[in-house]
Amino acid sequence: MTPSPTRRDFIATGLAAMAGAGLSAAFSPVFGKAVKPADKIRLGIIGTGSRGSGLATLIREMPDYALVACCDIIPENLQKGLSLAAGNAKGYTDYRKLLDDNSIDAVVIATPLYLHYPMAVAALQAGKHIYLEKSMTYDIPQAIDLVKKVKASGLVFQIGYQYRYYGLYHRVKEIMKENWLGKITHFECQYNRNSNWRFPVKDPKMERAINWRMYREYCGGPLSELCAHEIDVVNYLTDSHPVKVVGLGGINYWKDGRDTYDNIRTVYDYPNGVKASVTSVLSNAYNGYSIRILGDKATVEILRDKAFIYPEITNNAKGVVDGVTGATIAVKTQGKGVEVKFGKAGEEQLEPTVFALKDFAECVRNKKEPISNVETGRDGSIAIHMGNAAADTEKVQHWKPEYSA
Amino acid sequence: MKRRRQLVGLGIAVCFVMSALRPATIPRVHRISGQAQGTTYAVTWYADGVSVTQIQIDSIFKSLDASLSIYQPGSLISRFNESEGGIEMDRHLAFVVEKSMQIYRETGGLSDITVYPLVRAWGFGVKTADAMPDSAAIRLLLRCVGSDKLKIAGGRLVKTVPCVQIDVNGIAQGYSVDVVAKFLEARGIENYMVEVGGEIRTKGRKQPGNEPMKIGIETPSAHAFDAPAIREVISIGNGAVTTSGSYRKYRESGGKRLSHIIDPQTGFPVQREIISATVVAPEAITADGFDNALLAAGVDGAFEILRTHPEMEAYFIYRKPDGTVGDTASAGFGKYIVLTAE
Repeated sequence: MTPSPTRRDFIATGLAAMAGAGLSAAFSPVFGKAVKPADKIRLGIIGTGSRGSGLATLIREMPDYALVACCDIIPENLQKGLSLAAGNAKGYTDYRKLLDDNSIDAVVIATPLYLHYPMAVAALQAGKHIYLEKSMTYDIPQAIDLVKKVKASGLVFQIGYQYRYYGLYHRVKEIMKENWLGKITHFECQYNRNSNWRFPVKDPKMERAINWRMYREYCGGPLSELCAHEIDVVNYLTDSHPVKVVGLGGINYWKDGRDTYDNIRTVYDYPNGVKASVTSVLSNAYNGYSIRILGDKATVEILRDKAFIYPEITNNAKGVVDGVTGATIAVKTQGKGVEVKFGKAGEEQLEPTVFALKDFAECVRNKKEPISNVETGRDGSIAIHMGNAAADTEKVQHWKPEYSA
Repeated sequence: MKRRRQLVGLGIAVCFVMSALRPATIPRVHRISGQAQGTTYAVTWYADGVSVTQIQIDSIFKSLDASLSIYQPGSLISRFNESEGGIEMDRHLAFVVEKSMQIYRETGGLSDITVYPLVRAWGFGVKTADAMPDSAAIRLLLRCVGSDKLKIAGGRLVKTVPCVQIDVNGIAQGYSVDVVAKFLEARGIENYMVEVGGEIRTKGRKQPGNEPMKIGIETPSAHAFDAPAIREVISIGNGAVTTSGSYRKYRESGGKRLSHIIDPQTGFPVQREIISATVVAPEAITADGFDNALLAAGVDGAFEILRTHPEMEAYFIYRKPDGTVGDTASAGFGKYIVLTAE
């Protein structure tokens, strides 16, 4: 009989694993095996649904990795994962068995959000380096606890915020540093789509396992599954985290039994009065993914794989003078968007996640701390939970000192 | 090119009638602004009862483009560039080429309209290039460069080597300013300012009030999108002022900025301490024709050139060896300065 993958079962197996390893008593650090520079990193993927098999597709092309194991409770997903893995790769339905394989150096965890914490903790206990999909944890206490456990482990722990590894964002950060945008007071972030955001379900019993994004029991809805990237990007670009947040949310369009928002708008307050509005609307897809950075000299609009600068139109400091002599200003730079150039000329444009996975391999080989690490992951997760709490309670949520202690 | 023509078409007519209620005998300020030659222009004049229209100004730019624009495939200059041996010039091209050849001789070849093949190779031509040229490619292109490979025979511009191509962008804006200025003067306008992409010619004073026209010299900005700020304010009376600088138009390679001004002798982008060169001369074509060469000559070389040109004064913003930015000017420039920004 196929086990019914309800949340209770997931949690039960997760907790059993933890109890079995004696995690509740004491967390004993296990250091991962050293991977020699010439060796391929032996990798297992836990969760080969849409994201996990997407990662497997990229990993397959990368010389750094040998994908030797996949795990999923849904047979179709497991088959998909194995079809992308090495010929002799092993398939598991119980992630603890995958973690028991001592030949595996590192794991990718790409499961529903509520499973991130128990699986990450078990993987740390098993001495695996971890690439954990975003967002990091289901709630705030888990985020804080995971920081402690990762630090004690000495293992490489990376969160799947691939935009931190993407040249486009590096260039935008540089442009901000060079003051092209002037004084920045606002980030407008939206992650919209015009769809019910559901995956097809053949067996009604599988509804909650497949469409876990619809249910608060498993995740934080659009904020944790979509806007997480943008919150992380604002944290990255400002080198900070929010201090407070207000929000409003509702299920205003897809009245289909879901209990996560399909319409949420939050405003985060960052240090120095910088605000970031973070929005997800599931009934409009115009410029679906976009971050606009508003400075007093120019705006940058970041889309999926390109960005544009829109300079503010200034009247050549006239008023004081009747004319200005200077190097010619090309018409196209006035009021119209100019594409931000990034990367080297002629360089191949790769999927941002490839850069993130390359760096993960580099970190595993050289025992380096990833740029998207457990602390930046914690800041993102706490911000997400604060945003949802603000919308749920309609009360301002403040960043508490103990969050980043 | 089509795009250029559209830009002209896009020109936005702005006519301010500042003092409509005053008696008709008092001159009023008129202003037309729009887009031409890939940048903006503004024509301001102080007169009463003289009408100049945007259509007239735009048609001047159209006739200039038809002759001098490398962006327009069918222009006279484009036809010359595509030709094997040369073409018959019109009055615009003849005037600009003759002036360019004179400046070529007087700057020891630092200003050279035959630099176009190099400009293209470095990605500052009509199309931006993906890769940077290597020194072998530059050496090959240098065979096509040098105004000594041009001959004027009657009304014909002749190339002695078929691969010679010219680009008058470094001087055409200044010339355009002069052409528009002369158009205004022909209509009896005695007080005006003509500005095309930061190149300016003024005559007379602002009316009513008889105040001098004030021109800001821009502080070079850190990057292409920085809003201009004023460093000095000058008043030049009857004359022209132009500024050349690489702070807006450049490419980046290996963390280094490559100037759009190419040294015709080495074939490589000019790497000099001067960030911007502002030149005052009686005519805009002279100021514009020399400003790039002065920038390419460096501070000492620029003063050397200026010594033989008492009709020109210049002001330079330059990077000192310690990395700080300073300014310097020819002795006669001081008389134009009315205000220095703190």
